[in-house]
Amino acid sequence: MLGLGKKFPEFKKKAVVSIEHGKEFAEVSSADHQKDGKWMVMFWYPKDFTFVCPTEIAEFNNQNGEFRDRDAVLYGASTDSEFVHLAWRNDHKDLKGLKFPLIADTSKSLGEALGILTDDDEKVAYRVTYIVDPQGIIRWVCANDLSVGRNVPEVLRVLDALQTDELCPCNWEKGKETIHV
Amino acid sequence: MALTETKIDFLKDLSLDENTNIHALEVMSEGETKYLRDLRVNVKNVLSSTNLQPKEAYLLALAIAVNEKNDLLIKSFYAKAKELGAADAELAETFACASQLAANNIFYRFRHFTKETNPAYQTMPAGIKMNVMMSPVLGKEFFELMSLAVSAVNGCESCVNSHEESVRKLGSSDARIFDSIRLASVIRGLALIVR
Repeated sequence: MLGLGKKFPEFKKKAVVSIEHGKEFAEVSSADHQKDGKWMVMFWYPKDFTFVCPTEIAEFNNQNGEFRDRDAVLYGASTDSEFVHLAWRNDHKDLKGLKFPLIADTSKSLGEALGILTDDDEKVAYRVTYIVDPQGIIRWVCANDLSVGRNVPEVLRVLDALQTDELCPCNWEKGKETIHV
Repeated sequence: MALTETKIDFLKDLSLDENTNIHALEVMSEGETKYLRDLRVNVKNVLSSTNLQPKEAYLLALAIAVNEKNDLLIKSFYAKAKELGAADAELAETFACASQLAANNIFYRFRHFTKETNPAYQTMPAGIKMNVMMSPVLGKEFFELMSLAVSAVNGCESCVNSHEESVRKLGSSDARIFDSIRLASVIRGLALIVR
């Protein structure tokens, strides 16, 4: 599993961004969040149409504003195709109004590069959450076994801790360099 | 794109109608300052400290709002504290504490200032009744914590030092005290904007 301090792999993947006819799909890439100077939070899950996943995704969706206000771009991801994502969003009432993209890692290239796919024949993604900084470096990775759901407030707590730099000069100590932003 | 979503969510956080027109919020939203997002997140975080009960957090926020003469926030925090189970006596005592401490902060800060120039003031009786401090319905520890928070905002060094020592002796942890001051700091900043 790719870990702390490593550069998040470059990717360009199809994603579902809407259930509105004609506007369902878009391409998302690793460059998107970086060019806007934002963080990226990507949470992986094994399969669409299963049980633990919708509750987690719905919870991320409820907290979408919290990620927005922390300048973090939110992505859900699995190895399902964009059409399966679309079908799932249309099928499940909690997913119809999803405010963030669901990435389709159909070729599994990103899951493989991250080292987060199961060892068995299915090769689906474990429940792994990444926090990546605006420079594309992995700053947090959290992995759960397949049946254990995630805690969204915990992701926010970690994001806050990673982002809260005490930039006030009152923290300057004699002899240290002054603040360069 | 203005920070409209943040602004609306922020108003919701404070239980204010989303059409409430607050000049400073409008200016910050239109001008898209990052600060608006930080302010919203900071307010949310300090009010959900794990070292304070939710009711305590809102009572502290109410005390600071009273200190800052901010009617909008007083209304908002009063309602929220009540919703979280604050009794009438506790709410009343919060107003009382804020007001009593505002007076004490002036008086004891003066005594502190003049310690070297005229020691006479140190021993002259203050003549200011403060019976609310005797058996507070908020409990001694929390009342001291609230007093400390108000004193920190009003900047009275001797008040801060004596209340800090006192609240620790009553069992408060460093983390709980620290979070109360973080709360007081952020709410003070908030009070300048949401009015």
